[in-house]
Amino acid sequence: MALHFQIDGQSGLPVYRQLMDQIKYYVASGALVSGDQLPSIRELAQSLALNPTTIVKAYNELAHERVIELRQGKGAFVGAQASMLSAREREKMLRRMARQLAVEASQMGIEMGRLAQLLEEEAREVQGNRSSAEGLAPVVVAGLKR
Amino acid sequence: MASTITARDLTKTFKGPVVAVTGMDLDIPEGAVFGLIGRNGAGKTTTLRLLMGLIRPDSGCCQVLGNDMIAAGSQVRQKVAYVAQSLQLPGWMSVEDLCRCHRHYYSLWDDDLAGRLARQWEVPYARPVSQLSGGQQRQAAILLALAARPRVLLLDEPAAGLDLVARRELLSGLVDALCQEEGCTVVLSTHLIGDLERVADHIGIMDRGRLTACVRLEELLQTTRRVQVVFDQSEVPEGFTIPGARSCHVRGPVISAVVRLTEAEQLRRLREMPGARVNIFSMNLEDIFLDWFDRDGGGRSMVSDDQEDFSLS
Repeated sequence: MALHFQIDGQSGLPVYRQLMDQIKYYVASGALVSGDQLPSIRELAQSLALNPTTIVKAYNELAHERVIELRQGKGAFVGAQASMLSAREREKMLRRMARQLAVEASQMGIEMGRLAQLLEEEAREVQGNRSSAEGLAPVVVAGLKR
Repeated sequence: MASTITARDLTKTFKGPVVAVTGMDLDIPEGAVFGLIGRNGAGKTTTLRLLMGLIRPDSGCCQVLGNDMIAAGSQVRQKVAYVAQSLQLPGWMSVEDLCRCHRHYYSLWDDDLAGRLARQWEVPYARPVSQLSGGQQRQAAILLALAARPRVLLLDEPAAGLDLVARRELLSGLVDALCQEEGCTVVLSTHLIGDLERVADHIGIMDRGRLTACVRLEELLQTTRRVQVVFDQSEVPEGFTIPGARSCHVRGPVISAVVRLTEAEQLRRLREMPGARVNIFSMNLEDIFLDWFDRDGGGRSMVSDDQEDFSLS
C-alpha cells in the first residue's frame, strides 16, 4: 500500500514528530496493521526530500514506543502489539486535537457549552454522512495536519 | 564525533573597510547538513569562500577534512565540492563535455549518477551551457558537484532561481548524497528556510559577519516558543516582563515575547501566573529567523555574547 505523508513546514512541530504522528495515525486507523512493512529509510527520505537521519529518528522513536519493529537488514514493520496500542493512541490523538480546539475556542471567547454543542452537531453530521461518504478519516487527517 | 569542518577566530575584512566575517568559531560534525542563514550581506558567501580556500583570512584559520584548503592538494580537493552562487560554467561546453572533463579530476566520479540526475532534472545534456536557462545552469553545476561523490559539499544559494519542482528535486539529489555509504557533510547557505527545515540538522545564523547562533535544528525548534500573556485587567502591569525574554511586545492587556525554554520548570512557572492567561505557541524555523532579526528586539545572540549552552555537539 502506498502511504501518503505530508510534511508541514508551518506547523512548528519537528519533522520527525510529524512523521511519527502520521504513521501512528495510519496504525490507529487500521490503514497499517501488524506485520506491514514500512518504506525503507532511503526510499522515504528521497520521496519526501528529507534528511535520512530524520527518518531514522522517527523510526527509532516508534520502535521505542513499540509501534513498529526494526528487523536487522530487513527493514521496519508494524509491531505485533500495534493494534493493542492503537486504541490508546487513538484516544491520545483525539485528546490532542480536542485540546487544540479548546485553546482556540477559549481565545475566541467561545463558551464551553457552545463548544460542546458545536462539536456534537459536527459529530452528528459526520456520523450521518458516514454510510454515504468516506467517513471520519478525512476529517481526522485534516485535523492532524494542522 | 570528529569535526569535518572547523574554524577558529576566522576573520575577513574587505576594502572599505567592510567586515565580512569576524571572530567565527565553527565545528561541523561529520555527516551533518549545516544550514547557514542570515540576511543579505551577513557574510555567508565569504564564509564558504574562506572554507574553500578561495580567499585568505586576515586572521584565524579554518580546516576542511583536517586540511587548510589553501594549501591542500588534489587528493583533498577532489573530496570537496563547491557550487558558487554566481554561475561559472564555461558557456561553450555542454554538460556532457563537462562530465568528460571532470571525470579525470575525481577518482570517485560517477558517470551513471551524472546521467541519471540530468535525466531526472531534465537538464539538456548535449547543448552548450550558454543555451541553458539560469535554473538549468544551476542544476548543471550542482549535478557536476554531486557526481564527484564528494565527502564535503558546499553550496551557496543552490536553490536560487529554481522553481518549486526543481527545488524539490535538488533536495532529493542532496538526500541521495547523504544516503551514500561514505556519508557526506553538507554546508549550504540559503534564503529558502522552509526547504532547509526538511534537510538540515544544524543551523548557523549569521548577523553582520558574526555567527550569532550555531545550534542543532531540533533543539532550536523544541526550545523556542512564542509566549503570550493576556491579563484580565485592561493593561499589562507596569514593569511586567516575561521571564527569560530579551524583549517584549506590549499591546493593551497582551504582552508577548519569544522565549527559549531550556527546562520544563520554566514552562510550569509561566503557566501558573496569577491574574493572567498564558498561551504558548511553537514556532517554525522561519518564525524564529524573523524574530531573530526583529531589530525592535535589539538583535540577539546565542553564542558570542553570553557564551550560552548552544554549540554543536
